[in-house]
Amino acid sequence: MSFRDPRADSRRTPGVPVLLAFFSLAAAVRLPAAATAQSLTVRDSLRRAVEVPVPAQRILSLQPEITRIIVALGAGERLVGLDYFIRENDHLFSMIFPAGERLPVVSKPDESVNRELVVRLKPDVIFSSPTEQQVPDSVQRSLGIPVLAMASMGRFESLLEEIELVGKVTGRTERASGLTAYFRQKLAGVAEAVLSVDAASRPRVYLAFWSSLIRTPVSYEPVDRSGGTNVADGMLPSYLGTIGAVINLEQIILWDPDIILIQGSYLPRDRSVTVEGVLEDSRLGSVKAVRNRRVYYTFGFWYWWDPACVLAETLYLAKLFHPAKFAAVDIEAEGNAVFEKFYGTKNVFAALTGALDFHEWTVR
Amino acid sequence: MNIRVRNLAFAYEDFSLRVGELRFEAARVTSIVGPNGAGKTTFLKCLGGILPVPRNCVFVDGRDFATLKGREKARLLGYVPQEHDSAFNYQVMDFVLMGRASYISPFALPSREDARAAEEALDFVGLGRYGARAISELSSGERRLALIARSLAQESAILLMDEPTTFLDPRHETELLNLVRKLAREKQKTIVVTLHGLEMAVQYSDEMVFMKGGEVVASGPPGDIFKEPLLESVYGMKIRIFDFEGRKIIIR
Amino acid sequence: MSGPSDKKKRALALALLILPLVAFVVSLGIGTYPVSPRALVWVLTHPGASAPPEGVSPAVRDVIFKIRLPRLILGLAVGAALSISGAALQALFKNPLVNEYILGISSGSAVGAALSLVFLGRGFPPQVASFVFAVIAVGAVLLISGKAETHSISLLLTGIIVTAFFSALLSLIEFFASPYVLQALFFWLMGSLSLASWKDLYISVPLIALGLVFLVMLRWRFNVLSMSEEEAKSLGVNVRREKILVIAAATLVTSAATSVVGIIGWLGFIVPHLVRLMFGADNRRVVPLSAALGASVVIIADDLIRGLSSFEIPIGIFTSIIGIPVFILLLKKARKVWL
Repeated sequence: MSFRDPRADSRRTPGVPVLLAFFSLAAAVRLPAAATAQSLTVRDSLRRAVEVPVPAQRILSLQPEITRIIVALGAGERLVGLDYFIRENDHLFSMIFPAGERLPVVSKPDESVNRELVVRLKPDVIFSSPTEQQVPDSVQRSLGIPVLAMASMGRFESLLEEIELVGKVTGRTERASGLTAYFRQKLAGVAEAVLSVDAASRPRVYLAFWSSLIRTPVSYEPVDRSGGTNVADGMLPSYLGTIGAVINLEQIILWDPDIILIQGSYLPRDRSVTVEGVLEDSRLGSVKAVRNRRVYYTFGFWYWWDPACVLAETLYLAKLFHPAKFAAVDIEAEGNAVFEKFYGTKNVFAALTGALDFHEWTVR
Repeated sequence: MNIRVRNLAFAYEDFSLRVGELRFEAARVTSIVGPNGAGKTTFLKCLGGILPVPRNCVFVDGRDFATLKGREKARLLGYVPQEHDSAFNYQVMDFVLMGRASYISPFALPSREDARAAEEALDFVGLGRYGARAISELSSGERRLALIARSLAQESAILLMDEPTTFLDPRHETELLNLVRKLAREKQKTIVVTLHGLEMAVQYSDEMVFMKGGEVVASGPPGDIFKEPLLESVYGMKIRIFDFEGRKIIIR
Repeated sequence: MSGPSDKKKRALALALLILPLVAFVVSLGIGTYPVSPRALVWVLTHPGASAPPEGVSPAVRDVIFKIRLPRLILGLAVGAALSISGAALQALFKNPLVNEYILGISSGSAVGAALSLVFLGRGFPPQVASFVFAVIAVGAVLLISGKAETHSISLLLTGIIVTAFFSALLSLIEFFASPYVLQALFFWLMGSLSLASWKDLYISVPLIALGLVFLVMLRWRFNVLSMSEEEAKSLGVNVRREKILVIAAATLVTSAATSVVGIIGWLGFIVPHLVRLMFGADNRRVVPLSAALGASVVIIADDLIRGLSSFEIPIGIFTSIIGIPVFILLLKKARKVWL
């Protein structure tokens, strides 16, 4: 099998906390002796030190999360190439950056890179996924182009650092700060509202991700931030980050969650696990969430994250978990606003939830 | 039960077998001899239905052998191959029991009668006490006997044996050929064996068939046909036959 | 043929035949959701919808009847099916190194499941297409090797070629399919009882039972069929017809099992070997005891998976981890003739 699911394999190296500290330092302070007005040395997610020309004018992004950030930063026209997934399978991306249709696909579905094409496109910098540990070094060596292997690994702080870093690489630092400030502000709003919720009222949530009823991420930050509790929390050591664990079906019954969330970022025709399927599954008949019909779709991972989407998701979940506290909030409007802030396109959230058939379950 | 061959022709690659008229009689041992590549084994396999033969060539007790079903064939004629290579180490008794396949329907198990037939066969060849041993534990001579016992268990009137004495030492060779003769005399079986050794063939056969180049060059009782000119024409070399205390010995 | 060691063997054989049932009963009490023996007994004796007594959660009934029972039955069926199929094909191919997937069943199943997930989407269970394509793969092998060639070597070689073809086809499908459909496929391929439900059983278990009965009835015949083509023929066996029958039955049970649980390796290879080691090569014993031992192995391995942690290790990985050292041990033991 040549396909590898990046999210399932996502590893968080033990040194990431250190790395994060480093990041924040590097953001504020230029590294001595290595930084000039024309280039910057940064550390990517694989802890590689890479010298990058700034601001980069020709960018090849093979990492969908980074591609989205680049578009959000207003540097979309600097993209010279994309990866296979974001151009062929990403329904969301085609809504926020239709111009992407015209860009060439530089990496194949098995994540291998078309090097000749890269040479022809002459990018200043390449962004790649950190799951293929050998590729960044080998491409950088053979083509002489700096390669940054980056991903948020399922952590908001990493995501925000990423936005800042890409802002630096593209020279769009102001815009980056603006976006991260907006992100934090929105999160803070939610945090404040759920502060008063005591632990007992936080709904216990089971997440069925990755096309399977029994595959669940042991940590999913949007759930935590929106005032819910992931029942799978603590199953694996926290330094391992967001990993998909395959659990025994009985475990779900044992947990007896209040709410079941199914990863809905796939289009309805691609879904193996559906709300109807779960509600009709007689094996789960005794589970609280099924009895109370509190089974919904959420976005979940979509080749790492789309920053606007995950923010909108957090707001959406907040309202789902605490309907009384957020009764006045119009989620569709809020979601649209988030996408408009990031991408300048209107009504994306509404279109997305429509395409993904979230309508029945969207709390208004 | 006799075998009658009439105009049997069989060809493959660059070899062709042509046998005109030949008979193998009941209660007799007929040996087929000849140089390497004469077609002895091929002929035997044709007789036994191992190789496909056309109709009206081989008749067993008057019936066209080619028209018979596999099961019927096996009840009439048993074929003892020269070599046996098994991937699995069966017990001797289970091995011999396989000879009963033509009496047992595919979905059935061997009956008490089948077990009895197998035991009798084992006793006859002298392996009576070896039933529980594994095949691999037998010497090559004993394995030959087991093969014969399996064919005996088929309770067929005809037995064809392909070079049963190769690699056997003189003593075991003698024992085996004695057994073969016993089968003909006591059980009235029609025995056809291909043999390498001329002296043994002469001593133990009631009839001999000389083959060369896919054809039968002579057939008849050894006393009649076992002569020096024949041997010279068949083997292409000067061979002298000596009589010694009633036995024939050949010197090259 | 009888003696103290033979009596011991007979007792051991009987024990082995009973083992799956014993393991089944014990396994009902093992799992992530804690079920006390008292609760287990009550649930089994009160299958109706009456209210449970004090201390017994209503979820226990669901756990036992809807999760564990189908999973265990499926495990028994699959273990028996794969092991007996391995034994049958080993006899047929006169080669103890053969396994139940040798004629292309595993790659055919995978292609079927992939095609189903890609073209028929989520609505349709991949089991059906998986079964169909497994049968197609074996059919292709029989067709290609031709009328005259029920000879083992040509069947084996054709099996290898067909497997290679289907594997290439699978890679092609994976290349073009949406990565999220592929996740479902990948999960399915790993070989797991984790999502076993009654639905899975309704079709697969009767098919497996049918094939099992067929193969068990044919068991003495395997002895004869394990002889060379010439010998079997001379013993009066219609080699070609019986070979095809056996292949058909083995394909039936293996495809039915694989289409539901994915690919669980090493069973069809190791289990018959172990049985021959203990009881000799006579297929009258090897065939039913392989089924019994295979069923037990799957249940016991599944018990370990379910009992030791909340995580689901795919059973296919388990059987490999156990199968490989056992294989090495067997290699060392069989110095002389193969069992």
